[in-house]
Amino acid sequence: MVKSLTSILVALALLVGAGIFEWFYVTDQFDDFGKEIHSLMIKTENETANGEDARAVQASWEHRKENLHIWIPHNDITRVDDYLSETVRLIAEKNYALALPKLEILSHLCETIPGTYEPGLENIF
Amino acid sequence: MVLVMIRTAIIFLALLIIMRLMGKRQIGEMQPFELVITLLIAELVCIPMADSSIPLLYGIISVVTLFVLHETVTLLDLKVKPLKSFISGKPSVVVNKNGIDDYQLKKNNLDVSDLIESLRSAGYFSLDAIDYALYESNGTFSALPKQDYEQTQTSLPLVIVDNGKYDGKNLKITGLGQEFFDEILKKQGVKDVKKVLVLTADGTGKMYLQIKNEKFRTFQAEYPGGKTW
Repeated sequence: MVKSLTSILVALALLVGAGIFEWFYVTDQFDDFGKEIHSLMIKTENETANGEDARAVQASWEHRKENLHIWIPHNDITRVDDYLSETVRLIAEKNYALALPKLEILSHLCETIPGTYEPGLENIF
Repeated sequence: MVLVMIRTAIIFLALLIIMRLMGKRQIGEMQPFELVITLLIAELVCIPMADSSIPLLYGIISVVTLFVLHETVTLLDLKVKPLKSFISGKPSVVVNKNGIDDYQLKKNNLDVSDLIESLRSAGYFSLDAIDYALYESNGTFSALPKQDYEQTQTSLPLVIVDNGKYDGKNLKITGLGQEFFDEILKKQGVKDVKKVLVLTADGTGKMYLQIKNEKFRTFQAEYPGGKTW
């Protein structure tokens, strides 16, 4: 009885803990990355962004995604990877008009990806 | 490839620990909720194990969640008596001193031939050989034999009428026509075969008859030309 109750409580604590950590960690990572994308977007709109800026955002993402792989499906990470790679190239070539829509998509992904892990009705069903 | 191997090894270890924590019953005879959990575990862990786009953690979280559910349901099953019958079900006494309990059979989605098959698996070849038989809540079959049941099993009984219908295949084995058994039923006061729950006949002429909602009876019949099987 005591063993069962203890194992239930320990397992529940681990599950709830992992759930809370995942929620805060994923939201936090995408919030910070979203801010970086936003500032790159402003620079791109002003046509002052350069390859270095874009690569710095990419390096930051590379670092974040190492740990994100543990928590979220890898397909979501690949989507960000793909758009970011395109953006880096376009900004390096100073093709701001084409880079902006990609940055818009990245910004949208940063807003929506954490929401897909919320324990809401739309995600459960 | 190596990734799948490592993921499989991790899942294997996690499952092994969880199954050991769930106890011995999970390996042998299972209650309905345990069977559900076992089926789910196999399915849930296979997906992240083989699909490397899904974090391995998802498989482990699913298994640990099932473990929590299992332990909670097991606790409720052991400690809250009214819930026990709801969660695990109750044993069903399908044969009693009056014969087969048709209501209990139907309640468990079984018929007379299923019952006879279970009896044979348990080592009893005649319905007349047992006083009581029941299906446990985990699906196993138990029977209480009559004291001298070994003497009653001299020949293999065949089901001639099963729930109001003649069994054509067994009629052929006996080599006796339907008319012969119609006549026997008439002698026993049964006008319509549809009223018969079960009629079995063995090679020595011993018959077991149970009319629906009545107590069973056994009697001896003579086969034409000293026929036997």
